[in-house]
Amino acid sequence: MGSMSKLLNKPFKAFTLYALIILIASIPVYYWAVDFIWLQELEEHNDIIKQNIKKQFEQTQIEENKLKDLLEIWNQLQPNAQLTAVKGSEVRADFVYTTIKKNEYDKEDGMDRFHGLTSYIFINGKPYQLLVETNVEEADETLFVIAVITFLFFCLLVGGFIILNRRIAHKIWKPFDDTLNQLKAYELSTQKNIQFQESNIEEFEELHGVLNKLIERNINTFKQQKTFIENASHELQTPLAVLTSKLDMLLQHEDLNENQSNLIASIRLPLSRISRINKNILLLAKIENEQFAENNSIDLGLILEESLDLLEHYIQEKDISIEVNRKDSFLIQGNITLVEILLNNLLINAIHHNTKQGKLIINLEANQLSFSNSGIDALDIGRIFKRFEVSSSQISSSGLGLAIVTEICKRYHWQIDYAFEDSLHHFSVKFQKF
Amino acid sequence: MKILIIEDEKELAKDIADYLSGENYLCEVAKTFAEAIDKINSFTYDCVLLDLMLPGGDGLSILEMLKKQHKHEGVIIISAKNAIEDKIKGLQIGADDYLSKPFHHAELAARVHSVIRRKQFDSSNLIQHKELSVELLSKTVSVYQKQVTLTKKEFDLLLLFLGNKNRVISKSALAEHLSGDMADMLDSHDFVYAHVKNLKKKLTEAGCNPYLKTIYGTGYKWEA
Repeated sequence: MGSMSKLLNKPFKAFTLYALIILIASIPVYYWAVDFIWLQELEEHNDIIKQNIKKQFEQTQIEENKLKDLLEIWNQLQPNAQLTAVKGSEVRADFVYTTIKKNEYDKEDGMDRFHGLTSYIFINGKPYQLLVETNVEEADETLFVIAVITFLFFCLLVGGFIILNRRIAHKIWKPFDDTLNQLKAYELSTQKNIQFQESNIEEFEELHGVLNKLIERNINTFKQQKTFIENASHELQTPLAVLTSKLDMLLQHEDLNENQSNLIASIRLPLSRISRINKNILLLAKIENEQFAENNSIDLGLILEESLDLLEHYIQEKDISIEVNRKDSFLIQGNITLVEILLNNLLINAIHHNTKQGKLIINLEANQLSFSNSGIDALDIGRIFKRFEVSSSQISSSGLGLAIVTEICKRYHWQIDYAFEDSLHHFSVKFQKF
Repeated sequence: MKILIIEDEKELAKDIADYLSGENYLCEVAKTFAEAIDKINSFTYDCVLLDLMLPGGDGLSILEMLKKQHKHEGVIIISAKNAIEDKIKGLQIGADDYLSKPFHHAELAARVHSVIRRKQFDSSNLIQHKELSVELLSKTVSVYQKQVTLTKKEFDLLLLFLGNKNRVISKSALAEHLSGDMADMLDSHDFVYAHVKNLKKKLTEAGCNPYLKTIYGTGYKWEA
């Protein structure tokens, strides 16, 4: 899969790279454009100077003998222009050039670029070469300035991208995040579809539509399966009842010998196990179907006493030492049948998986009920609350007792926990405060 | 004593009838809703065993009908549905007891026994079996008018045996009788042995004849 990145960061990286390439490519283009305009303007500028000088000299009548001195002074005062007498044969068309030469006033490197114009004018009918030179910004300086500006703009661009990206991501992905959170919290067993928040983004609306259809289909499948399981175990009840009945009848025969009698007893064991599993499957289906809707205030201490009384002989048989700590009595809200099943399953679990001459500690205090029993190894917490996951070597358990406990806790939002400390398995249920 | 068994499962109905027929009970079977209505309208019974899922109708409406006619039949619902709502509803309408399938015949016999006794006009709370007498209200047992002290569980077992004379009762039926639904979650039923042994010992010591017999360690029988 490689490293993960956010969806919006992908185009962002590409956009940034693209902007960088374009901006870098723009640097020479800008440079050429600026330089071209510069030179054009300077050419015009030189031409204007030339025209100006030409006009001035043509309008002013200067005597021939004074002209030489004047030109000398003029040439000295006008460093940008030079007038030199030439022979008639040397007169040519105007000529434009660019040169780099020493600039006495430039203290930094002394070299500057000049754009020049060579032209020929006639003063008093004699040809003179006119040289006009204007300083042009040098190539490297222009390039540098453009690069710096471009880089600044690039930084502004990327900074803007990051801020916009964050804002947009937060805003446009909000419906998506909401949907994601709803899906994370979704449980099929509630058999309710999700009400997604409406969004004005087409893609999200489409996603919501598809998800709703998918969930609907799953709910239907789930319902069908549940109905099937419920019907199947219903159908099993009658043949199981007939089997139990037939065994009872068989036992009444006068001429049964010991072997036959033992056989009947050994058939009865797996039979009662099937009945128990079947009953538990039905019970789970009923809890999931939100039957047992009736709610009462229940005194757990009372139920615990009754159950301990019924199971007294099992506790004695295993020689388990029992310790019941009841700090204060409190009432919980729930269906009495379910609460009885919850308590009994945990109690039976604590007896069933106890060691011979083990300990059983029951704590009933401050909205919490816990059973601790002796054991050898810690159980796999990831498996014990699942259906048909038998996490110990005891073969006789149906693997559904704790699944039923979990289902009941889920229904009332009670919290069930397991821990293994000091060779004791601890199962605890925290009830909600009322 | 007449008992009507309303049960659509033929084999089960037959077994119940066979099992109960031993003790001066006369059993009749109705396999459908219509047949049941017919029988109830024509005859009077001491006890009706009522299955809730019947071809042709809901067993609960038979119960409603019985109650409307102010008949005195004791009614025990025997249902595979094992739905707590049905149980509550059934008992509210006026059923005397509820037993979910599968059940042991011994348990059913004991309940039938108890329901019929309660319904009798001369409802005595005394069960007399030769030298043994059981006072139900005070829960006391005496042999030749001499009181025997039994624990609650021993007393419950004795009642079960007296309701199933000459029948073999399996250990698991006894365990379920003592621990209710929880018995089948725990596989060892050996504790039954200790309770039966104590009961036997106490009765014998009080001079009672040894009616209680052990059948190959798998069950017990009260031989009358």
